[in-house]
Amino acid sequence: MDTGNDRTENRPPTNSDDYLWDGSGEPDPEIQKLEALLGKFRHDSPTPVIPEVVLERRWAFFPWRIRLFPALAMAVVAVAAIVAVTFLEFKAKPTPTTMVGWDVSSVKGIPRIGGKTIFTKEGTSRLGIGQMLETDSQSSASLQSDDTGRIQVDPSTRLRLLSMGSGLNRIALDRGTIHAYIWAPPGQFVVDTPSAVTVDLGCAYTLQVDDSGAGIVRTSLGWVGFKLNGHESFIPAGAACATRPKVGPGTPYFEDASAAFRSALARFDFEDGTPQQRARDVAIVLSEARNRDALTLWHLLARVDDAQRIFVYDRLRQLVPPPANVTKEGILRLDQPMLDLWWNELGFDDISVWRHWERSWAGTATPVREK
Amino acid sequence: MARSGDRSDLLAAGLGPGPVREQSASDVHEDATWVAAARDGDRAAFGQLYERYARMVHGVLLAKVPVGEVDDLVQDVFIKALRRLSALREAASFGAWLAAIARNVANDYHRRSVPEEPLTDDASDDEVTSGVSGGDHEGSAAVLEAVMSLPHAYRETLILRLVEGMTGPEIAARTGMTPGSVRVNLHRGMEQLRAKLRPDPRCDGPEQEKS
Repeated sequence: MDTGNDRTENRPPTNSDDYLWDGSGEPDPEIQKLEALLGKFRHDSPTPVIPEVVLERRWAFFPWRIRLFPALAMAVVAVAAIVAVTFLEFKAKPTPTTMVGWDVSSVKGIPRIGGKTIFTKEGTSRLGIGQMLETDSQSSASLQSDDTGRIQVDPSTRLRLLSMGSGLNRIALDRGTIHAYIWAPPGQFVVDTPSAVTVDLGCAYTLQVDDSGAGIVRTSLGWVGFKLNGHESFIPAGAACATRPKVGPGTPYFEDASAAFRSALARFDFEDGTPQQRARDVAIVLSEARNRDALTLWHLLARVDDAQRIFVYDRLRQLVPPPANVTKEGILRLDQPMLDLWWNELGFDDISVWRHWERSWAGTATPVREK
Repeated sequence: MARSGDRSDLLAAGLGPGPVREQSASDVHEDATWVAAARDGDRAAFGQLYERYARMVHGVLLAKVPVGEVDDLVQDVFIKALRRLSALREAASFGAWLAAIARNVANDYHRRSVPEEPLTDDASDDEVTSGVSGGDHEGSAAVLEAVMSLPHAYRETLILRLVEGMTGPEIAARTGMTPGSVRVNLHRGMEQLRAKLRPDPRCDGPEQEKS
């Protein structure tokens, strides 16, 4: 039986990647074949004749004017300085496009950055660190950072840019809906919501937060990590996960699961039911589970009480047999390495990717506002 | 995907292992010298920069726009760069700056040609195969199509590696990305590409029936 240790998907790079990395090491025939096929598209145009173009130079006319009219030039500079100081006195914030931040373009209506409105005809503005972007019911906007990704901001949304650079981009979504398509390396784009922190693991996803702070993430590509106070959920493409203030992330599920399955799971996650009610809800989830709902059952292992865990274990074992070196006893005592090995059997991304980035952003798993 | 690589084919295509080049201190110095000279109107110096960075620009564009459009856009990128050289503060960052211009030119291309770009950012089949014709290209176009279906970061890095023949260190040096990011993107992108070209039945979609 496959122990899970032989899986290579999304494992952190190793020496076996040397040929892919720099052409050293033993050549990989499959990569060589791809190089041969794709090499047909390689750039092969000769260097063109470089045209004589007018370079965009600031103040290109200044030197000779200064030589000819030094006093006049000094006066112009002095007046310009006075105007600039006066202008800055009245303008509390720096010019948006000069700040570090995300480029913002208005898609529809008149979104606002802080108190300033953005008009489509103005082209691109900049959302700087500490600034807030807000759309009303009639407006939407698009954010882009070449190094990170693109975010579409739906109407009635408010978000803030908390930090940027140093390998971590952090945004707070106070309310509303964003659609994120992230191309930064996994773990470098984080969104705080009032009830959980989402960590991009190489994906596209939609995140919604309502006025109460409750949220839901739906992943359309790759996967997302959802975490709060040690409560963590992994949401692969096609799955969703709700979150509630003071509770944190619920149990992820595939949205094509049966209505009974989803209702029972929602009650289990977020209603303060009696132990008997919770047991009934778990029983419904187990009986309604299909093979792909192993995603939900794996998460439930750590969320049910000891009495229920054996039932979850048995049902999950029917759906996806555990690797040979994962034991019943280990799972029942929630042995993390065994749980991770079993996760890797479910057919989603290798959990070591998450564990790697979890270490990288240890200490950032609490929304900034709650620190 | 056949696993057997035909070495003669590779050599014929000029795709043998080849020398591994990465940005050295002398490269950085040369870049700075050429940028300074180009700012002063030395077109030959800018030609040297073109020689060094054309493959990177071509790859960045190929990751975002149809094949048939790339060559023209490469010229656009270098013309924009030449016009704006005075705005480049750190000559040593020329590559990262040029890559950003290339990505913006690609984005502008889509803004001009597609009123509302879908969030998926995935290129359509037509986009992938545009400019490619003939039976010899079918296999190549199919593989490129698979690459184009990957997330953007993986797509761009894999194209620079597999299409343009750049090494990982060279990609990092030319684009300004960190070597770690490039290596992770190559690794994860390659795994996803392998999965697409040789589908794993387990990834085709879990069974829908209750068991």
